[in-house]
Amino acid sequence: MSDDLITLTIDGVPVSVAKGTLVIEAAKQAGVLVPHYCYHPGLPVAGVCRMCLVEIEKQPKLAVACATQAAEGMVVNTQSAAAKSARTSVLEFLLINHPLDCPICDQAGECELQDFTFQEGRAATRYSPEYPKRFNPVEDFGPDVLYVPNRCILCTRCVRFMEDVAQEPVLNVSERGDRAYIGVHPETRLDHPWAGNVVDLCPVGSLLSKDFLHKARAWELDKSASVCTGCSQGCNVTLDTRENVVVRVRPRPNLEVNRYFICDHGRMNYRWMNRGDRIEAPLVQRGGELHATDWQDAFERVTTVLRGAGGRVVTLVSPRASTEALFFARELFRGGALDWTGAFQVVMGEEAPLAGVPDLALRAERAPNGRGAELLGYGREYAAALAAAESAAVVLVLDEPDIPVRTAGTLIYVGTVLPERARDAHVVLPIANVAEEEGSFVNRDGRVQRYAQAKTAPGMARPAWWVFSELGAALGQGEPVGSAAEAFERVAQAIEPLRGLSYEQLGFGGRPAAVPAAV
Amino acid sequence: MTVGVKVMKRPGAKVSYLRATLKGMALTFSHLFRPKVTMQYPEEKSSQDWTLSPRWRGTHRMLTDEQGRAKCVACGLCPQICPANCIKLVPGEDEHGNRYPLIYEIDEFRCVFCGYCQEVCPEEAIHVGVHYENSEFSRDRFVYDLERLCAQTHPVSTLWDPSDPKGE
Repeated sequence: MSDDLITLTIDGVPVSVAKGTLVIEAAKQAGVLVPHYCYHPGLPVAGVCRMCLVEIEKQPKLAVACATQAAEGMVVNTQSAAAKSARTSVLEFLLINHPLDCPICDQAGECELQDFTFQEGRAATRYSPEYPKRFNPVEDFGPDVLYVPNRCILCTRCVRFMEDVAQEPVLNVSERGDRAYIGVHPETRLDHPWAGNVVDLCPVGSLLSKDFLHKARAWELDKSASVCTGCSQGCNVTLDTRENVVVRVRPRPNLEVNRYFICDHGRMNYRWMNRGDRIEAPLVQRGGELHATDWQDAFERVTTVLRGAGGRVVTLVSPRASTEALFFARELFRGGALDWTGAFQVVMGEEAPLAGVPDLALRAERAPNGRGAELLGYGREYAAALAAAESAAVVLVLDEPDIPVRTAGTLIYVGTVLPERARDAHVVLPIANVAEEEGSFVNRDGRVQRYAQAKTAPGMARPAWWVFSELGAALGQGEPVGSAAEAFERVAQAIEPLRGLSYEQLGFGGRPAAVPAAV
Repeated sequence: MTVGVKVMKRPGAKVSYLRATLKGMALTFSHLFRPKVTMQYPEEKSSQDWTLSPRWRGTHRMLTDEQGRAKCVACGLCPQICPANCIKLVPGEDEHGNRYPLIYEIDEFRCVFCGYCQEVCPEEAIHVGVHYENSEFSRDRFVYDLERLCAQTHPVSTLWDPSDPKGE
């Protein structure tokens, strides 16, 4: 093992890294962020921006940290006078043509040019204010991408992403010298299903998302770790919220799942989290109409129904529900002489792989927790379950947007919004959606991943795992759980493939469960 | 039972109020010949000796460009810096693709007139004004919208400049 490790010194800090590691990555391990633009860990190295110049002892010239491999005994100095003045000069060159329109730029606040200019740029320009800056009009690149050539610093991250990761080379660097700009193929648009990543990759505000344009400033956003609900891949994302409204979804690096990318489907799949027509209080059927009530009353109604139930019970669940919710919903009907059927329906779509990353695609199955539902004993025989529901004594529906069920028995609806058919329900319980609760999903490869709360739930809505565990407690099935961690602990105790996992262990990167991956 | 009271005998010059009255009237009379400091507000709002400081921070004014549009680009710095949280801003995009404030409102009741909004504004658009007459008939008139902020005509405040602390 030690043969593969080399030791070098960066700013006086000795670090041991694997052979072949780049100096810029080794510096990160030493706690030093070398300023850089063209380098991105998810892209091939280009070395074009010259921003990451560092001084390496015994080398006559400064070296670019992103294209230099660490070597045994190397002594790197990132803060030497020569390196600093070289980087200051690079910044000065970049700012010759970069407009000072930070007040209207969407990237302001999370712009690497801003950050590094503050860190080690010149305080003022040496060019006269009359010096004309390069000007090119804004270009419309694709469905969600806008190109502002004036702000471009030609790091070519977007070009390399389209060429090497998406493997659909529609972008290039057109023209030369200071006239250079990012060009798009004249006969195509930037409409690859993963094209939105160029916006995240852009270190400045040159590539902008039309969806997010002028919507919020970077410093107003609250960020919370989450998992994308767009498909069964389970990409790690960050939900950016502003005043309790989700305004943007960005990828959260996870080398095991999505690396640094998410697809455009997942990126746009957030508007429903902000729906205004939510159920805000438990509703009970009284005189042919639903009336708002409190949790206590609603729980009493449900437990009366469940205690008296015999025979067939059908649970129709959404594969967007958390593992914890699905578990407690199943536990309600555990034991006794009940004939329990649980089923979920998966919406199918087109599969869109990201060619340059193995095992990463927008999956055809648009369900984040289908695998979790399967682990918990829910079946995919949705039509059969619907037929069974017709003659069932109790039908429990968990957050299905349209309830295609007719039943002679009692319908209990647990959901975020009230579909037309739910008006026949005996009891309606309001629950939080994925952005409003904590929980976990199991992705198609059997990886258990946590998501955190990003905004508050409306009115009296509560996480589904809380609702079901309280109901279970009212039925005498033990203590209710108070937190998502406790809920997961119960699941992990009861479900064989998750045994041994704990909430802390999962962290925000997730852990694989002991299950074979889906085909 | 009667209480014995000792009656003090003082000279007439001391107990007479005439002297004191005349002294007071002499002082009053002497003021007739001193320079006047009273101003006939509201007819007269400043005089040779006194005027509102150019650094006075009063109700806001939004400056406009040559076309009469607000200079504001809706960058969001003033609502961010505002310690009283009195600025409401919703950015939008006009027909030329320029960023501009769709809604810009300042609640002058909440405002503490610190002048940070003027200091932070990169476009020199929002200013606190050298102005103090703000009476209205209803409270909601104190939420100034963009149109009203642009329509203000009073002079804008000159902020304190550390390199020129005395404003010379």
